[in-house]
Amino acid sequence: MEMNTIVQDGMVIGGRKLKSRFFLGTGRFPSPAVFLRALEASGAEVITFAVRRINLDNYEDDGVLQHVADRELIYLPNTSGAGNADEAVRIARLARAAGLGNWIKVEISGNPRTLLPDPFETLKATERLANEGFTVLSYTSDDPALCRRLEDAGAAAVMPGGAPIGTGLGILNPYNLSLIAEEARVPVIVDAGLGSAGDAVQAMELGADGILANTPVSKAVDPVAMARAMRLAIEAGRLSRLAGRIPRKRYASASSEPGGRLFIPEAWEGKT
Amino acid sequence: MSRPLDFKLYVITGENYHPGRSMAEVMEAALRGGADIVQLRDKESPKRELIEKAKRLKELTAKYGVPLIVNDHPDVALAADADGVHLGQDDLPIEAARELLGPRRIIGISTHRIEQARAAERAGADYIGVGPVYPTGTKPGRQAVTTAYVAQAAAEIRIPFVAIGGITESNAEEVLRAGARRLCAVSAIVGYADPESVCRNLLEKINAWSLGEQAVVPASLPISVAQTLPERRDVREIALTVNGRSERTQAATLLELAAQYKLEGRSVVADLDGAVVPRQLWGETPLQGGCSVEFVHFVGGG
Repeated sequence: MEMNTIVQDGMVIGGRKLKSRFFLGTGRFPSPAVFLRALEASGAEVITFAVRRINLDNYEDDGVLQHVADRELIYLPNTSGAGNADEAVRIARLARAAGLGNWIKVEISGNPRTLLPDPFETLKATERLANEGFTVLSYTSDDPALCRRLEDAGAAAVMPGGAPIGTGLGILNPYNLSLIAEEARVPVIVDAGLGSAGDAVQAMELGADGILANTPVSKAVDPVAMARAMRLAIEAGRLSRLAGRIPRKRYASASSEPGGRLFIPEAWEGKT
Repeated sequence: MSRPLDFKLYVITGENYHPGRSMAEVMEAALRGGADIVQLRDKESPKRELIEKAKRLKELTAKYGVPLIVNDHPDVALAADADGVHLGQDDLPIEAARELLGPRRIIGISTHRIEQARAAERAGADYIGVGPVYPTGTKPGRQAVTTAYVAQAAAEIRIPFVAIGGITESNAEEVLRAGARRLCAVSAIVGYADPESVCRNLLEKINAWSLGEQAVVPASLPISVAQTLPERRDVREIALTVNGRSERTQAATLLELAAQYKLEGRSVVADLDGAVVPRQLWGETPLQGGCSVEFVHFVGGG
């Protein structure tokens, strides 16, 4: 029972209390049906989207929203495709005009090969959008000083990347991530670069408040199973973090008392 | 008819242009703004439902002392005790409708060229529609008749005629200048957040032209206008950028442009020259040559 209450401890972003610490992306699933089952298995309350031009020649209602219209979810559109703050602000306003809330994930890539965020433009966009009343979640490099600046600019959450988007390289700089988690006054959602449930556990143990995953779920051999694995991993990692890990030591310490043992091995002479 | 029909601002229902607001609410706003004739147009609903809608609308228009016209269906008009019917060129002939409706109810008919207007007058129509003056999302694919036909009708037709099709606050002057004294709009009124003020503004323009005519050049204006107009006028067409692509369009408003790509009623957001345009304003957002429009939606993403 106690374990359940700990696992279900919520977090608050932009005044919304979230039970689930898993944010699920909606891109590149094999089909809408698989996505819906993965969403179910993930327990996620927040799902992300991108804003794109419609195809003028052949417009079918292939928008992702039609499949989730009947669910109670928080919509987190992103500003992917923006290369600077102006473009991000424009995309954010378009997203808000769809009438699905005022959350926005600022995502501004400075390099098409790595898609790593442009810190200066990200900071500018965060400040402007926060001033316009958006609930801003900023996708950012895993830099503690930058995350602090984003908070000061009005970010409701910071989203440091573990590794470049879609690489599955996991958490490349655990030290930085733990520092960010230690210092942040807003929720820290690790976004991008995770490969599997193991990475999710690590992120949560390092002190992250939540995980955003898309590719590791949608491109897994079995996306529905991976969605569930991620959910359990996030719970396990969170619980492990709260439970408190033991300190790392250089040498072994036996699990049993030394007193009353039957033998003292010769090889141990002079080494205890 | 007990009294000669006259009106200035003809408003037609278009429920698809105001999702989330009821027909009664929107039409009452138009009536408050001065709409003095109302047509129920609904190509979707089965007749039983249509009759119910017509009855409710009749109650409302009666409150304002304004006639209610039913599009296409004389039987619905009778069942709901509406004041008349509006026919298309392919509907029941005027004579047959008159048989059904009797001498006292109003019969109007859409016309697209002067021969049809003359025929309607001869057949005993109480008024005619002249249009579509501009391309319109309400009648996609129909060739616009331009203000040249408005001028022709003004010069020659003696029964009331109402200009219709793509008319908005921004182009109303042009239509009035061509000789129209009655205007009709659908999306530019019911698709707008504040139909009352749109109606007021349109009426103000109509009144300004009607008064000017009486004071300065009584009776002779329509003909002189017709003479000063060129025989044919090319439909206004502009070059613009849509979703990054160079396009040409006859659409006068954002709503008409959206209709051209069959986007009405879809979850699409529009941006004109960098600024979001809320959907309820599409109908009164004019397009200028060289402008840039984005139509976007949500797709999968992380």
